[in-house]
Amino acid sequence: MNSAARYLSLALVVPLGFAGVWRLQKYIDAQQAAVQIEDDQVILRSSKLVKALSLEYAPLVADIYWTRVAQYFGNKHAGHDPDLRLLWPLLDVSTTLDPSLMPAYHFGGTFLSDAPPRGAGRPDLAVQLVERGIRANPNEWRLYYDLGFVYYFDAKDYPKAAAAFLEGSKNPDAFVWMKVMAAKIASEGESPETSLFLWQDIYNTTKDAAVKQNALTHLQLLRAVKDCKQIDALSDEYQRRVGRRPKNIGELVQAGLLHGVPVDALGYAYTLDEDGKAELNVESPLLEKQLMVMPKK
Amino acid sequence: MTRIGAVAVNTFREAVRDRVLYNLVFFALVMMAAAILVGQISIDIEQIVIVTLGLSAISIIGLLIAVFIGVGLVSKEMDKRTLYALLAKPLRRWEFLSGKFAGLVFTLTVNTAAMAAALFLALYYVKHSLGHADIAVLVAVYFVLLKLALVVALAMLFSCFTTPLLAILFTAGLYVAGLFVHELRGLQAEGIGPGPAAMLRWLSYLLPNFENFDVMGAAAHGRAIPSALIAENTVYAALYCAIVLIVAAAVFSRRNLK
Repeated sequence: MNSAARYLSLALVVPLGFAGVWRLQKYIDAQQAAVQIEDDQVILRSSKLVKALSLEYAPLVADIYWTRVAQYFGNKHAGHDPDLRLLWPLLDVSTTLDPSLMPAYHFGGTFLSDAPPRGAGRPDLAVQLVERGIRANPNEWRLYYDLGFVYYFDAKDYPKAAAAFLEGSKNPDAFVWMKVMAAKIASEGESPETSLFLWQDIYNTTKDAAVKQNALTHLQLLRAVKDCKQIDALSDEYQRRVGRRPKNIGELVQAGLLHGVPVDALGYAYTLDEDGKAELNVESPLLEKQLMVMPKK
Repeated sequence: MTRIGAVAVNTFREAVRDRVLYNLVFFALVMMAAAILVGQISIDIEQIVIVTLGLSAISIIGLLIAVFIGVGLVSKEMDKRTLYALLAKPLRRWEFLSGKFAGLVFTLTVNTAAMAAALFLALYYVKHSLGHADIAVLVAVYFVLLKLALVVALAMLFSCFTTPLLAILFTAGLYVAGLFVHELRGLQAEGIGPGPAAMLRWLSYLLPNFENFDVMGAAAHGRAIPSALIAENTVYAALYCAIVLIVAAAVFSRRNLK
């Protein structure tokens, strides 16, 4: 074989070889995917073992685990997969390796407690996580805020929520309104104003894009609830004038009770149901979110 | 002292000649990549990642140099038979060992200082400023250096009476054991009996306690490290190194080099 033929055969063999490798890698990836899921569940749950294996590099491994939390949560949401069973073990390992990893407590407090499919629907674990954070970092008043948040919105335990806000307010660096919030929750329980205030504060202060988006959704839904109440009040007025409930919002506009058809935060017009009660438009993406966050009783 | 200094300077020169400091290029690349990528892969922990990654890299690279070169300090001289020429000169064996130790610790100091400078540059790139809280990072780097000095002393001790491979294994084993001293001390007598529990407790004070030097978490979160701890760790490392080197010198002095 002369040198030209050798080069030619090499030019053929190498790309063919890599094509084979590429094809084989696809099969290996498929096999690995199944193995990886199993590995995650076995390894990630043992925070003590991971800490022992990390030697003195536990803080670095905690950062890697925290990044894994963000990836896991992001992938699950991108794939519309509501199964967030690994969220707790991942957060458990992250915070065991680095008990001062504040973003993990803030994120975990929100998404462990939030109802599926937005979160894992485990306020009990969220409380466990945030209380662990408070034990390790007693001077971090924000953790009391997170704890109060979980008790208020998801556990619906208002005395404990008020107690958490009150405890946090004792820190000189804490927001002044935390004491007011503690008193308000203790006397009124859940109220739209309190909910609006808490979600607005989360939206304004968080750096985490997922937490910010979650807060925005809740704010949009709270605004929709407020709008619907106002439209219902106008429908009551219409009934007093005309003697029947309006069939659609256009009738409220024609009667001069509204200047135009009101729209939700995403620009979709509100509608009236068969009983004349205001509700989100079936076309509005907010409706699906409302059914997830505030299911009809 | 002049003789120890001469051995130390030559050990440093040899390390530079052996391209030991080339690892700095690797470290610089790691820190540059981390500084650029960290904002994209982490949430709210950019500074923490830079500090933990930087300190871990300084520690791991330093440990590799301390163990592998530390073990070779004596054995290489014997293999190449250069030790005989050295000892024929007015140089005591303990002076040779002390010089070798000082030379490698100096190499590690230069290496660690350069890596610390790169770490602070990366930190500045991410934070756009450096503050008082970053002193904790500097203290953590210093503690890594103290730990490395202790590892060098242990590696030299083992290399004085066994083969390089076994010396590496013994040093690595003792290092890992020294990271679990707290667990050894906390073992309950109910599980293993009062005798072994007391023995393990006793052993835990004899083992080099590498947990003493672990302040990475505090440094990453900008928590101040008490000056008393800095002083205590310095004395601990100096004292432990002195004990190990005295034992190493005693073993090496009795070793038949024929």
